[in-house]
Amino acid sequence: MGSAIQKFYLRNGTALATFLILAVGFWVLMMIILPQLYMVDFSFRHNLPPAEIGGPKDTLTTEHYEFMVYGSAQAEGEYNTVTLKVFGRTLLAALFVTLFDLALCYPIAYYLAQSAKGGWARLMVLSLIVPFWVNEILRAFAFRILFGSGGVINGALISIGILDQPIDFIREDVALYAGLGYAYILLMIFPLYNAIESLDRNQIEAVRDMGASWIRIHRRVVIPFAKPGISSGCTMVFMLSAGALAAPQILGGPSSLWFTQIIYQWFQSGNNWNRGSAFGLVLLVSTLLFVLLMMKVFKVKLGEIAR
Amino acid sequence: MKSDTIIKVSTLSFVVIFFLYLFGPLIVMSLTAFNSSAFPRVSPWECFTAEWFNVLINDKTLVEGIKNSLIIGAGVVLLAVPTGLAGALMLTQINQRVRPWYYTIVISPILIPGVVLGISTLVFWDRMGRMFGFGYQSIFYDGIFLTIIGQSTFIAAYSMLVFISRLQRFDNAQEEAALDLGATHVQTFRKVLLPFLKPAIGSAAVLAFLASFENYNTTIFTIVSQSTLTTVLASKVRYGINPSISALAVAIVVLTLFGAALLEIVKRKEQREEKAAEAAAAAATKGDTSQAAVKRTSVLAEPAMYILVLVFIAGLGTTYFAGTMGVNECKAEVKAEKKRKVEAAVHERQQKDMFRNAAPTFKSGTTTGGARKKLDAKGTEGYQSIFAPKNLEEQSGTKTEKPKEKTKAKGTEGYQSIFAPKNLKKQSGSD
Repeated sequence: MGSAIQKFYLRNGTALATFLILAVGFWVLMMIILPQLYMVDFSFRHNLPPAEIGGPKDTLTTEHYEFMVYGSAQAEGEYNTVTLKVFGRTLLAALFVTLFDLALCYPIAYYLAQSAKGGWARLMVLSLIVPFWVNEILRAFAFRILFGSGGVINGALISIGILDQPIDFIREDVALYAGLGYAYILLMIFPLYNAIESLDRNQIEAVRDMGASWIRIHRRVVIPFAKPGISSGCTMVFMLSAGALAAPQILGGPSSLWFTQIIYQWFQSGNNWNRGSAFGLVLLVSTLLFVLLMMKVFKVKLGEIAR
Repeated sequence: MKSDTIIKVSTLSFVVIFFLYLFGPLIVMSLTAFNSSAFPRVSPWECFTAEWFNVLINDKTLVEGIKNSLIIGAGVVLLAVPTGLAGALMLTQINQRVRPWYYTIVISPILIPGVVLGISTLVFWDRMGRMFGFGYQSIFYDGIFLTIIGQSTFIAAYSMLVFISRLQRFDNAQEEAALDLGATHVQTFRKVLLPFLKPAIGSAAVLAFLASFENYNTTIFTIVSQSTLTTVLASKVRYGINPSISALAVAIVVLTLFGAALLEIVKRKEQREEKAAEAAAAAATKGDTSQAAVKRTSVLAEPAMYILVLVFIAGLGTTYFAGTMGVNECKAEVKAEKKRKVEAAVHERQQKDMFRNAAPTFKSGTTTGGARKKLDAKGTEGYQSIFAPKNLEEQSGTKTEKPKEKTKAKGTEGYQSIFAPKNLKKQSGSD
């Protein structure tokens, strides 16, 4: 160990080696590992006023996790159906958003990577990026204008006579799914594009010459080849949409909550940071487990994703 | 070959739909910034105006938020970019057996939900503050400090990825050569490695700033009692919207387009010069020296650049003048139009009431004056809402079946909430 550090110093010089060790040490310890570990510890403690922290009452407890499953002791009903429902719905909706983005982005990525040419392709890539420099909140705001009861879509549908009453898209969560899907298009399209672009065009030509149908080409050649890209895009979109807070706050219907909103409520109005931390950890662990499960099902290795 | 054309056509239409989905919302939002209607919408179109930009500039909380966002952005660039660089350099040197573990740890902040990162940062530094006995006024509870730390946790990982992809193309022999020639380690780093990494440092800094500027999930927890642009925007959007937010969006979209165009011009220029340099080198080997000198000009001298700047200024000027000229006249007209409509509606309502009540002695007058008196008796709500466009509109529509009951039920409560656009929306939605 000592010799390794000596070698490290010899290789980089004193100043650079010290900088590297300090910077990486601060990052890994003070910003990643210790905060996460402390959060785990914190979530297993009672919600106490500052004066009592470290006192005799400050013991380990699983009350916050129990609360999530069973609800408070006074409440009727066996399970905390409100929180559990929101939790399940969030994961399902995030999965739905992921599949929606995959279906939307796959053809575009394929087109960009294999069919579009030169300046046109570059212009398309550039115009893909532009909307994502616009603030996340403003993007959600745009969807609210679009889907509001007096919004453009309702107006258009009414004027061409499909509807006679405006649909409350916000209550129906259509606005939320459209907005969430929109927010993560870029994160889906670039991994897909990178994967499909490296596929040799001759392979497709060869299969086509042998008479494979259009669907078969994609199912047997392109998709298997692009699997790492597909799974990395899906992982990113799923994790981010399950952990999204802005879009559900702005576009979510009045009666439907996102799990992150419950966490936020425990921090702000609920004033129970410990419970908020516990719920946050549940979110982190469950989404990670879900992603790992999916990777097992589709036989993708973690190394292929985190490229 | 018929199926080929079908595929081609469907692909193209899919591309068109996709880009409509991508830009449609932004275009509609941008348009609402120029409509004088107090609620952001495009139809009905009232007057073309630039007033929302004025509202935007005079909004103190927003300006304060932008200031904080800029400070945090600068702080994140200063912290996250060197950290990411150190992380990438460390990865190239670390022991083979430890490397996968190290990589998993430093890449994990990208996958951890932003909400969780924000919570862990807040909770951890709260604990540090208590451990070292610092009060609530100290830096450990300062929203800006906490936000810089919280955001840098994952933005450092982004910039590390940028540096890794650049370092993969670095030829280690260069470094060894410099060391062989007697350069010290610091010199080698500064004169060989840093210049090679310079483009990556630039793009990592831009990426870090943008990521910080638009972050919400982490910031909302770590900012504590202060505010950034995104948190101010979020609370504005949640608790009542007006087109000044669209105006901000227009400003950001225009700046973005400008930046993208600039980037494209610079890229094209570089490519052209590279080609010219190659041609010159080829010519030089043939002994033809007339073309050997390649002119390197500033980006500012590009013709495309002139066009870009001119378009930008022209657009700005046109908008400003078109948005300020004749706005008041137009607005007065719209208002008068609405007033006429309302009076017609009131009149109609009045007559209906008369038939229904069949009490001729009570309501002898069907003139507008009579209508006004009636209105006053009902409470001032209906009258006051002349200035709330949404209310009027639905009143003037044909859907007012039970106008009398509605007006009464609303009473003064409706009167107070006239200026909250959300309320208006709800009212109009309930019909």
